[in-house]
Amino acid sequence: MTAAIEAVAVGKRFGRTWALQESTLTVPAGRVVGLVGSNGAGKSTLLNLAVGLLQPTNGQITVLGARPGRNAGQLAKVGFLAQDIPLYGSLSVGDHLRLGARLNPKWDATAAEQRIARVGLDRSQRAAGLSGGQRAQLALAVAMGKRPQLLILDEPVASLDPLARREFLADLMELAADGLSIALSSHILADVERVCDHLIVLAAGRVRLAGDVEDLLAAHKLLIGARRDANRLPADMTVIQESHTDRQSTLLVHTTQPVLDPSWTVSDVGLEDLVLAYMAAPSAVATSTIAQAVAPTLRSVG
Amino acid sequence: MLWLAWRQFRAQAALAFGATIGVVVVLVATRAHVVETFGPAGSQDLTGFYVWIRLLGTALIGVPAVIGAFWGAPLLTREFEDRTYRMVWTQSVTRSRWLATKTAVAGVVTVTVVAVFALVFTWWSGPIDSAGNRIGTANFAQRGVVPIAYALFGLCLGTLWGTILRRTIPAMAASLTGFFIMRIFVQRVVRSRLIGTESVSVPSFGSSGLGGWLLSSRTVDAAGQTISKSAAEGTLTGACHITRETKDVDAALAVCAQKFGIHDIAQVHTGEQFWTLQTAEFGLFVALAAVTVAGCFWWLNHRSS
Repeated sequence: MTAAIEAVAVGKRFGRTWALQESTLTVPAGRVVGLVGSNGAGKSTLLNLAVGLLQPTNGQITVLGARPGRNAGQLAKVGFLAQDIPLYGSLSVGDHLRLGARLNPKWDATAAEQRIARVGLDRSQRAAGLSGGQRAQLALAVAMGKRPQLLILDEPVASLDPLARREFLADLMELAADGLSIALSSHILADVERVCDHLIVLAAGRVRLAGDVEDLLAAHKLLIGARRDANRLPADMTVIQESHTDRQSTLLVHTTQPVLDPSWTVSDVGLEDLVLAYMAAPSAVATSTIAQAVAPTLRSVG
Repeated sequence: MLWLAWRQFRAQAALAFGATIGVVVVLVATRAHVVETFGPAGSQDLTGFYVWIRLLGTALIGVPAVIGAFWGAPLLTREFEDRTYRMVWTQSVTRSRWLATKTAVAGVVTVTVVAVFALVFTWWSGPIDSAGNRIGTANFAQRGVVPIAYALFGLCLGTLWGTILRRTIPAMAASLTGFFIMRIFVQRVVRSRLIGTESVSVPSFGSSGLGGWLLSSRTVDAAGQTISKSAAEGTLTGACHITRETKDVDAALAVCAQKFGIHDIAQVHTGEQFWTLQTAEFGLFVALAAVTVAGCFWWLNHRSS
């Protein structure tokens, strides 16, 4: 099956700054992918590359088997909700549906109308007067009306109140259940944990971690025991994060093997702790080696 | 896509069509007076209210610049500033088609409006022009088909600056500046070279009676040798005894010059060349518009990502 998104050593430079560097990842189809990372980590850049709004400076990105955004056929396959949800302020809700119908040959009018009706949007209302939640719902209706195979959302819930956010995410999960591939970026780890089954962690423009959530959780352990040097661990363990008190060491490690040493108290890691550990990884050089060491293993597991 | 492009442009189009209809009504209603004024029994001079209507010609010179700044520049910058380009570029329509449709809609409205304005104004000015010169003066840019090409170029230039700068105000400024530089450059430097001139013989002194656009002239004697005008004047004043006491020096010189076969050979664009020159300059600006719009496509596909 063709991967939803496949990036090979992708880099994107704006002026002198690299927004994304040497990013290699494969997102299988049919997943809900969460893209997390701090501000400026390169999340938007990666998503914009995937929809073809940006072109990579180097490397290659393919989406559903083809280069993104080059022709109408490829554009039709990917739905996109851009950051801050841009809409034409002077156009009404109905006009936006009409826009969708005119600009997308595979337009599903019934589905779009139903979605609008279900969330209670007034067709004659101008987009400028819509609330954040309504804007997101309208944009989702337009993006889904084109019947995409992959839906990409850049911070879709950032501007929504908690209730609207919950409803919106519930809608997404419903779409995912129908087999749609979804990629979304978010700052809210709880949302990602609830919705996503595949995770990509970006930091400083590099991919730090990528894989199916289940595999990632299975491959990481929290070890607590008497204080000792992290260098003396077995070779199959990679330390992601370590903290030491006078008497005790706490290590977050990546390992695919069972931890046999009985002197460690071994516990599972929560997704949030795992993500934060990778986001806060100490220095760029050290973490890039970790990411390179970890990422291939995880991909083979996934 | 056509629907969206029209939906976004229809307000400007309606305003422009309304204004054009107003202009046409005024011109049609007042033409009879112009015919009369410049007729055999007329005063050959417009007064009062009609002077203002004649100034519509000056407005016609400004219209292409205004179209470039207010239609061309914001055509894309509004999408960039409102960030809506990210929505519309991710529908199932390529950027090229999107740009083609948007510029085509704006272009058709521009051409329609300016063509009606320019041609009706040319018809209105007919009686004035038949009494005067319309090729060698500022009137050239207010008549015929050139205003249509200017407007098309203005629109495309504004769109190009909008594509490059992505912000409305700088794009408007760049568009206005660029448009006037190009217009003045063509008017001052290029226009006279667009088509071949005609050589005509005109009197060296007194009124030439030339209706065209005089580009250069030299004075020749009866043998066809080029001489300087001051030398000719010196010879003639001596030969025909013209002094300070002579009543009308110019007229005396003219008569004397004829007697001695001294005259000017002038390089001119004659009044009959008006439409040839119009066509040439029209073609030049349409070509400039085409190059500019090609630049928009190139930039949008290669630099806007």
